Amino acid sequence: MSPRAQRICVAQIGAPHGVRGEVKLWPFTADPLAIKDYGPLETEDGAARIEIETLRAAKDHLVARLKGVYDRDAAARLTNTKLFVSRDRLPANTQDDEFYHADLIGLAVVDALGNALGQIAAIHNFGAGDLIEVKPMLGASTVLLPFNAAVVPVVDIAGQRIVVDAAAFAAAAAPASATEPKAS
Amino acid sequence: MTRSVWKGPFVDGYLLKKAEASRASGRHEVIKIWSRRSTILPQFVGLTFGVYNGQKHIPVMVTEEMVGHKFGEFSPTRTFYGHSSDRKAKRASAPAPSAAPAAS
Repeated sequence: MSPRAQRICVAQIGAPHGVRGEVKLWPFTADPLAIKDYGPLETEDGAARIEIETLRAAKDHLVARLKGVYDRDAAARLTNTKLFVSRDRLPANTQDDEFYHADLIGLAVVDALGNALGQIAAIHNFGAGDLIEVKPMLGASTVLLPFNAAVVPVVDIAGQRIVVDAAAFAAAAAPASATEPKAS
Repeated sequence: MTRSVWKGPFVDGYLLKKAEASRASGRHEVIKIWSRRSTILPQFVGLTFGVYNGQKHIPVMVTEEMVGHKFGEFSPTRTFYGHSSDRKAKRASAPAPSAAPAAS
């Protein structure tokens, strides 16, 4: 596992809510209310542990009461604090072909012959399946590939690499023109 | 105002030709298109299109649920890089072998 994946940001504390120490909480987890299941959360520097006592849904965020934070001034001091958990505390994968984003991001991208092509920069899903965004070894522009068995036949988390179809990578990496090329 | 039903769904003509050529070739390559306004038709199911978003072609693997939507809906022009957190990515199975389009 890459060092940056060992701790995962799961939420960010927002502005105080009311005068009794509640705070707005912006969760990044797949299930927003599951944030409470992870137990005590750590700040970015790991210096403080923050425990959620109660949690309720608001319009587009959550409202949380944190242990030891009982007035607005104390809540205001936590504004914009990012909350982390250790990667080890995420539930184990139960299905094949399902991978945590945190495990995939940072993996080396190689072709079938083992030639390095780049590194996974991000995972996206725009409603048409998962996509992997690859930062190539050469060139600044990233490459988007569909995350399916034809294009990505091998995902080797332990080996810190994925194998992609070289032809699909080359086609995706070709520069795009702004308009449809005219048929001759 | 919604589009009149009697007109049928709008699709750029070149897109149908490209889809037909890709299906005939049997290769599952990404079909690069610029037409974000075209409607996704049933004969596109199983094909992967690269829909231009002004910068690059975003791969869109067409499934049955996407029929009737526009290609542009699946290729955002502004990307928000959120936190990965505990989200999972599912690796889809390889596209099924091409089937002949349904007779109209």
